[in-house]
Amino acid sequence: MKVVTGVIGNDIHVVANRLMDLSLNARGYEVFNLGVNTYLEEFFDAAVETGADILLISSLNGEAEGWAREVKLLKAEYKSIDKLIMMIGGNLTVGSGNAEDIVPRYQNYGFNLVCHQVDLNTGLDMLEAYVDEHRPGERGKGELGNVEHNTREQVPS
Amino acid sequence: MSNMNEKLLIDIGSTYFKVSTDNSIEQHFRDFNKQILDDLTHKCGDTLQRYDSKNVHICSSANGGLSTLIIGVTHSFSLKYASNIAYNAGINVIDSIIFQDIEDYSIPSDLIDVVIIVGGINSNGGVFDERLTSYLAKLNYSSVVYVGNQPDGALVAERVEQLVVLPNIIDDRLHIVEEHLKDFLTNLYQQDIEGKEDIKHLYQITDNQIYSTPYVVTKSLPLIHGSFPVTDPFILLDIGGATTDVHYSKDLVNDNIVTEQGFDRLVFKKLGVYKSRQSLIFTAENNEFSYELLMHLKVTENIYQEHSEKATKVLMQLAIFLVLCKMSHYRPAYVTLRLLTVNSIVFTGGITKVLTTEDIEDIVAFFYRKILNSDHKPVTVLDSGYNIWTLGAKEHAVCL
Ligand code: B12
Repeated sequence: MKVVTGVIGNDIHVVANRLMDLSLNARGYEVFNLGVNTYLEEFFDAAVETGADILLISSLNGEAEGWAREVKLLKAEYKSIDKLIMMIGGNLTVGSGNAEDIVPRYQNYGFNLVCHQVDLNTGLDMLEAYVDEHRPGERGKGELGNVEHNTREQVPS
Repeated sequence: MSNMNEKLLIDIGSTYFKVSTDNSIEQHFRDFNKQILDDLTHKCGDTLQRYDSKNVHICSSANGGLSTLIIGVTHSFSLKYASNIAYNAGINVIDSIIFQDIEDYSIPSDLIDVVIIVGGINSNGGVFDERLTSYLAKLNYSSVVYVGNQPDGALVAERVEQLVVLPNIIDDRLHIVEEHLKDFLTNLYQQDIEGKEDIKHLYQITDNQIYSTPYVVTKSLPLIHGSFPVTDPFILLDIGGATTDVHYSKDLVNDNIVTEQGFDRLVFKKLGVYKSRQSLIFTAENNEFSYELLMHLKVTENIYQEHSEKATKVLMQLAIFLVLCKMSHYRPAYVTLRLLTVNSIVFTGGITKVLTTEDIEDIVAFFYRKILNSDHKPVTVLDSGYNIWTLGAKEHAVCL
């Protein structure tokens, strides 16, 4: 499956993004990494150009919510990304916040999967479970073939 | 006959033409009732006679370049990459269309020189469908080139006559691939210049290929430090009668497109002080700061109606301001340059005959203050002897 990923807005925290790229690759996804400092329109545009199945946004510095509010409005302007699986993770609020409030709020903004301060591998396991449930048989199809989960052990932690 | 190796360099603009020998440079206003060649022989016949046609090198910016309409699937990738390549090849983008909404766009009535179709990485076929062919069927164009995803290219080629299919300009990592489309467009532009009736006659006096002026100027940029007190990064503004050209070094762009050249170029086709005077005024009237600028210059909007030396001067000052606006975040045209890091601004073209360094510095300072809220003051360098063009033309002539 094809995944577009990157860090949203003016955020320049790059470490998680690099790890994300490695982990996704190790799990057999075809990764299009837009890196840090990526605007919402660029994420959607990349999904259109690549025909991505999944959009995985990171936000670390606390600016996620401002962007998340724009998601529905902007996404409505696109005609070919209705099926895109939308995921967001990192620090989804300013300060610590608690997931019980944050998760439903972001789901409301249009995200299928919301991981507030969840570590990367737990988050990616959630993604796989979601794909298996909603798109049975699609994971690992095409691109790199079925990649065993244990390849992720190669990812530096 | 002149010295065997001495070159005669001729530049045909929309308003002036220039003739440069090793030790002199002449400039003449064009007589629009005459063919270029007649005008040239009438005014510079003696000089022309002294040179063998193999030593005469001509470039032209008189025809304003080719026009393109780009059909792409997103702003951030396909349209942006194609526009970038088109601008670099000296082609003017007159419209760009997002494919998903293609049915909502009106059909331009003017003849389009070249239509560019782009979208999708190669593993993403099925991006285009019959809406593309029905749009093209209604469009009036001379040539059409496809630089999108591979699988769709074959399908589109079956349905669109004379479609040129080149490799995708978007690679599998979403990066830009310039060379094929750029070469194609540059050749098209070249053929266009050579095909213009007026220009064709000029082959009677030269054995060499006639190039576009911006192409020649680009040649001089890497050499500019040898002739002018220019500090990097710099921009070069060539404000002429019909168009304005901006050459800038790549490190001034806030962009993630990685390209090969050190310099890029933008053309504002409808921004000039003679042929494009009306559209310059139109642009000015739509800029909320122009009024303030006119006040600053102690004139009123009535100046737009005047045809005096003073009016030309003011229009040129306005042109500088408007071009800088177009390259800033205030009125992004296509690229936004990091103008606060610019150390030198070099001016060339007709403008240097009318404005003094002080006139220009005044406007540049006004721009930085009003639009960028800054006291930044790049050094103004005036190329009033057309040395930049001579440098590029010579370099070019030597390379041939
Ligand atoms: C290093 C760092 C910086 C460096 C960044 C260097 C660089 N280019 O990467 C610098 C000094 C530049 C910096 C700047 C700032 N920072 Co800082 N920074 C950090 C720091 C110390 C470590 C970040 C890091 O790399 N961690 C290692 C990676 C691997 O972990 P991670 O980023 O947390 O990501 C993990 C998870 O979040 C998760 N994850 C991430 N994305 C996703 C996505 C999905 C889908 C999933 C499932 C999981 C997931 O996976 C990762 C691994 O488990 C953190 C504090 C901390 N200890 O976390 C603050 C921190 C992130 N920074 C913070 C702030 C506020 C800033 C600044 C605004 C400070 C300022 N006032 O200038 C600026 C913002 C700059 C900008 N434009 O973005 C805050 C954010 C607070 C908030 N959200 O409320 C933090 C949390 C510090 C704090 N406690 O206040 N910072």
